[in-house]
Amino acid sequence: MKRAGWYMVTGAVAGFAGVLGFHSVGTATPAALGPLTPAGTGATPAPSGTAPGPARTAGPAAGQGGAAGPARTATGAVEQYGYGELSVTVTVRGSQITAVSVPLLRTAEQYSQQLALQVIPMLRAEVLAAHSVRIHGVSGATYTSVAYAQSIQSALDKLHAR
Amino acid sequence: MTAGPAPLTTHAEPVMGTVFSVTAVHGALAPAEVRAAITAACRILHQCDAVFSTWDAASPVSRFRRGEAALGQMPPEFAEVLRACEAAKEASGGWFDPWAMPGGFDPTGLVKGWAAKRALDELRGAGLPGALVNGGGDVAVFGAPGDGERWRVGIRHPWRADALACVIEATAAVATSGPYERGAHLIDPATGRPASRAASATVTGPSLALADALATGVAVGGDEALAVVAALDGYAGYLIRHDGSETDTGGIAFAR
Repeated sequence: MKRAGWYMVTGAVAGFAGVLGFHSVGTATPAALGPLTPAGTGATPAPSGTAPGPARTAGPAAGQGGAAGPARTATGAVEQYGYGELSVTVTVRGSQITAVSVPLLRTAEQYSQQLALQVIPMLRAEVLAAHSVRIHGVSGATYTSVAYAQSIQSALDKLHAR
Repeated sequence: MTAGPAPLTTHAEPVMGTVFSVTAVHGALAPAEVRAAITAACRILHQCDAVFSTWDAASPVSRFRRGEAALGQMPPEFAEVLRACEAAKEASGGWFDPWAMPGGFDPTGLVKGWAAKRALDELRGAGLPGALVNGGGDVAVFGAPGDGERWRVGIRHPWRADALACVIEATAAVATSGPYERGAHLIDPATGRPASRAASATVTGPSLALADALATGVAVGGDEALAVVAALDGYAGYLIRHDGSETDTGGIAFAR
């Protein structure tokens, strides 16, 4: 594995921020995780009785359990995600996401449901916001001309077009 | 990057059912010379499209697929691509096999990379100190984007069109394949049916034609096909599995 576990956790959180609109959950610090409950309402309950644990330490969540306090679970609002509706429940202990589940999933057709079930648990690969890194090109599965128009490569091409 | 000693010109050319992007480093060349080089490179892309379009029923490749034209009647590029396909089939351990596609011989999984490399060679021949050609997601580079700089190629995140999974410092070819853009177009040569055992498969190496074919093979075969790439001299692979976990063969310069 080429990256430490810490980055994987950060990636998971960033993935949710994009998919579900948990925009306040940009970084995996206890403070940022406060507004998780409930998503989309803007409510920011204080993490009751939870002293912020030592952040920036990779390792199994169980190892931090004592210092970080009890597990907190939050279920996001039902969101439209392109193929249907879903809701996601996230369990957090200290600064770590310890569990993710999908209590609600409604899709238009069988294929979408299969696709969604395939995709939803997969939030472990790192997600880099494209605007935060300097790149000259993007490699990916071959896009159609239509998909190109919405792509990062298209944005790059406009930078120095003559 | 917008100003300074190494100005860049970018150009997007719709061709081969996708869009090719060209990034040219000016060096000592005048802007008009850079534009002329890009125009010549794009002309090559359209020539490749005319020969290898499986969508155009009148193209040489379509006539070959229908058995209406023999190899001897094909343009010289055709034999070159055929040889590259044979080499790629062998190098991939059979995970890439243009002869196992539904509808007959289909070199599409290799032709875009091959064409992008030909366009890049045209830019090199025109005297540019560096360039990047992106054939709809398959990238070839030479030289450098500026003094002391390296070409940085982002790998698209398989389920986030606006995000990257990582950034690679490229010296030659970076090709990526996966099922996320066009659905079930990846075919398992063993069964002739759609299959993708990776969410995203990237292969780097000296030849973009071969890297393109190998990336297609790893997208179909997953970890098993990645092990084949790991054993190839000069080539390296990086895959993201359907559960979001990642692995790579080593030999890729990941940037932070």
